[in-house]
Amino acid sequence: MQPPAASPGPAAPAGAELLRWQWREVQAPCLVAAWILVASLAKIVFHLSRKVTSVVPESCLLILLGLGLGGIVLAVAKKAEYQLEPNMFFLFLLPPIVLDSGYFMPSRLFFDNIGAILTYAVVGTLWNSFATGTALWGLHRAGLMDPGVEAGLMDFLLFGSLISAVDPVAVLAVFEEVHVNETLFIIVFGESLLNDAVTVVLYKVFNSFVELGPAHIHATDYVKGVASFFLVSLGGTAVGLLFAFLLALITRFTKRVRIIEPLFVFLLAYVAYLAAEMVSLSAILAVTFCGICCKKYVEANISQKSRTTVKYTMKTLASSSETIIFMFLGISAVDTSKWTWDTALVLGTLFFILLFRAVGVVLQTYVLNRFRLIPLDRIDQVVMSYGGLRGAVAFALVILLDREKVKAKDYFVATTIVVVFFTVIVQGLTIKPLVTWLKVKRSDHHKPTLNEELHEHAFDHILAAVEDIVGHHGYHYWRDKWEQFDKKYLSQLLMRKSAYRLRDEIWDVYYKLNIRDAISFVDQGGHVHSAAKLALPSMPSRTSMSESSVTNLLRESGSGACLDLQVIDTVRSRRDKEDAAMHHVLRGSLYKPRRRYKASYSRHFISPDKQERQDKEIFRQNMKRRLETFKSTKHNVCSSKSKARLKEKGRKKKNVSLTKETANGKTHRSVPWQDAAPVLVMVSSEEEESDSSETEKEDDEGIVFVARATDEVLQGKTTPGSLDVCPSPCIIPPSPTLAEKELPWKGDQADLAVYVSSETTKIVPVDMQKAWNQSISSLESIASPPGIESGPQHRRFACPVLEEQPQSASQAMPEQSSCFQFPSHLSKSGRSQSDSSPDGPEQQELQPLMATEEQGRVPPSAEPRWLMFNRAGHL
Amino acid sequence: MGNKQTIFTQEQLDAYQELPKRCFNKNNLAPLALPAVKAMLVGMTLPCSCAVSQDNPFRQRIAEVFSEHGDGNMTLDDFLDMFSVLSEMAPRDLKAYYAFKIYDFNNDDYICKSDLAKTVNKLTRNELTPEEVSLVCEKVIYEADVDNDGKLSLADFQHMIVRAPDFLSTFHIRI
Repeated sequence: MQPPAASPGPAAPAGAELLRWQWREVQAPCLVAAWILVASLAKIVFHLSRKVTSVVPESCLLILLGLGLGGIVLAVAKKAEYQLEPNMFFLFLLPPIVLDSGYFMPSRLFFDNIGAILTYAVVGTLWNSFATGTALWGLHRAGLMDPGVEAGLMDFLLFGSLISAVDPVAVLAVFEEVHVNETLFIIVFGESLLNDAVTVVLYKVFNSFVELGPAHIHATDYVKGVASFFLVSLGGTAVGLLFAFLLALITRFTKRVRIIEPLFVFLLAYVAYLAAEMVSLSAILAVTFCGICCKKYVEANISQKSRTTVKYTMKTLASSSETIIFMFLGISAVDTSKWTWDTALVLGTLFFILLFRAVGVVLQTYVLNRFRLIPLDRIDQVVMSYGGLRGAVAFALVILLDREKVKAKDYFVATTIVVVFFTVIVQGLTIKPLVTWLKVKRSDHHKPTLNEELHEHAFDHILAAVEDIVGHHGYHYWRDKWEQFDKKYLSQLLMRKSAYRLRDEIWDVYYKLNIRDAISFVDQGGHVHSAAKLALPSMPSRTSMSESSVTNLLRESGSGACLDLQVIDTVRSRRDKEDAAMHHVLRGSLYKPRRRYKASYSRHFISPDKQERQDKEIFRQNMKRRLETFKSTKHNVCSSKSKARLKEKGRKKKNVSLTKETANGKTHRSVPWQDAAPVLVMVSSEEEESDSSETEKEDDEGIVFVARATDEVLQGKTTPGSLDVCPSPCIIPPSPTLAEKELPWKGDQADLAVYVSSETTKIVPVDMQKAWNQSISSLESIASPPGIESGPQHRRFACPVLEEQPQSASQAMPEQSSCFQFPSHLSKSGRSQSDSSPDGPEQQELQPLMATEEQGRVPPSAEPRWLMFNRAGHL
Repeated sequence: MGNKQTIFTQEQLDAYQELPKRCFNKNNLAPLALPAVKAMLVGMTLPCSCAVSQDNPFRQRIAEVFSEHGDGNMTLDDFLDMFSVLSEMAPRDLKAYYAFKIYDFNNDDYICKSDLAKTVNKLTRNELTPEEVSLVCEKVIYEADVDNDGKLSLADFQHMIVRAPDFLSTFHIRI
């Protein structure tokens, strides 16, 4: 903080220096870093106390901190240092905030309310600045002000123009903590962003008028002023759109340079800002529209990781800019040399901006409500008027004024500072209680349901259809047209082919819902586990009809649940079976902390992190255990009735399997289970809930599969499909008919097959695992649509032949399928050692049908060894 | 909707002007009735006459739902009915009922899976595979199905809509 200490006196130039004090060289960046650090640390301190931050907005605290720091600096350096420089503000601090708000702007909401937003931004701001300016001038004429305030009408209008604009930074800072409903928020916030054009134009026009002097202003100048408004706003928007287009186009081709994808987003947006600034168009508009428009395409193009990076970097930048802005506002206020206080001017300004804001809002809303479907009511209007915060933009603009031209600059500066502080601190502090008191509709973050998504879309189309029938070209009509245009041309042009397909919102929502359900389900599993197995009762209580559907499903159907994200839960879904088989082979092999990774370093690609992968393994393992215990406790409760019968059955099977087993020589896995006695799981057909009574053996990592018999089972086809998971396919003759007839034989197989019953359409743990594997990767950004990582699933869908196998085929299949499972496992194990591309095994899974018999035969011999190996590793 | 021949006499028009007054209060009459009548001048069987390629997936369906005989030919009365349903003054339940009807493609008073599949297909313009569609449909039914009969009755539908607050507020149209 302290300006350059005694710099390196080159006392002994003769000898070689060991160390050299090079403060001067690093001074500037060092100061910047120091300030950012101070601001960030301050944030940490603020948030240590929840009580304080819940009452006082962060922006207030930061300003107060700035005041304190400014005082210290003043005391130490004897002069005010480190103030908010307009240049720094406009070139470095503002763009990140605007980009962030534009990029994460809910575009649908924004465009739905564009009419209101534009009205408030343009008409409202014009009204505010003219009314405030004129009123202040009137006050001045009335002689109420200090005679030192030398200002004419033009000066006051200039001041009015800069003081009347609602500030995006301040609004965002305060409203983010208030959580009013979305419509209200988007209107106030959208206004604060879009009024930039008006502010810029008014400011420039009046500034030039002041410089010209009132005498030299011609009528043409007024016309020019109006024209420049359109030029500045539309030009700024056009620049933004142009760069958004470029950005989308560029990201389409970044497939091989994933690592710099996020950079493009920031660079182009910043260039858009600078370009607009360069030709004195509205830079804020440019960045806002760049952000709004590019988002859809960019998000679809860049990878999941880049998406996360963009999101976090943007938030970080914006948040630190905001912090610094408020802190520097505080610091700058300390500098008394710029101040000249005039009570009348300050009070008058405060009064007028509040008054005219309220009047403007009420009048405009009155007009707007005649056109709006959902009118803004009184309470909304109060919040809107009260939420018109002024901020750093006004301050930077007032500092930019030329003291030579604007004589009353010092008065204006003082007034602006007071106004900014008043709005941010007083209004910021009181708006939360006000909102609570007025019972403003808060934003309700209810979870999205598929229904809503579906109907929202349908309503859009329906309304567009109605307009079409009527022959009226209204809002819905144009939106419909735009969407078609977007789909036909823009998306084709700007999105990757692969991304394009994934962009369907309904599917996205479905996907997200499933992830969420899976997570909440596992949460509950954990909850139950920790709650000393009080288990079941807690479930229904937590699941209201509106809540997580998985748990509902569990409740309704007793036991079976499909948590798989993408799997198709038809009976003969081969993927279930494949997964089941794979799961069992993998089960023993998970959790191998000592696996060796290739040490690789690449600047251009991020290899999956070792630590991360290990964590994942551990996590998965834990999750699985929890689930198992959860499931088993659950079944203890709910199906004691069927237990006896099952046990009997299990015993019978056990016997058979024991004999068989020795013959097979495949003891590696069955043994612990046999000891565990009443294991078993084949579902008798009329039972909805199948059961595994394997509760007492929790430590034995037995997997308890819960199966739900389906219709097909009811038809008596006690599927041999179950057998396909048997790890020793070669021994079992692949004859479905045989299997069909002989129940014990089947049971035996099932036993060998590590107790997967696969009439089970719905296998929880396997699916859970899948869900987790996917959700782990997508947890970071659940909000963003499934991108690349869902690729494989879709590829699976792409080969419906596999899924749509008729029952007979899939009956014939089992042996085969278990055979070709192994190559993929092997490849998986191979991958774990060689770090090959993650797509490998998936690919192989996709083409199991192509697997030849030879391929099928090799694995069984290889597989036991592998298992042993893993087992050893596990131990 | 090009052909602008007038097939009404002035008296007929006046009569039709009177008609909505029975449905709406006076304030609402002007903005609603006039364009409707104006549009009606285009022809009685408006929607069906436009056999143009369906760029809007729901167009035909709407015409069918609101037309009296369910054949997609709308009379002026049907037309005005449509607007009364879509006006802000219409009660929630009425809107819900008509929204429900629009979804109920096979007119069996239930939204069943095939209806939903149709809707989803229309919405996504056949981009989803059949499996995906059926998954989505199951989920949708599952979410809203209160009485657990595997299809959505009107009661289910209304229940769902009550739960989502701003839901029908979008089901307005203003001309």
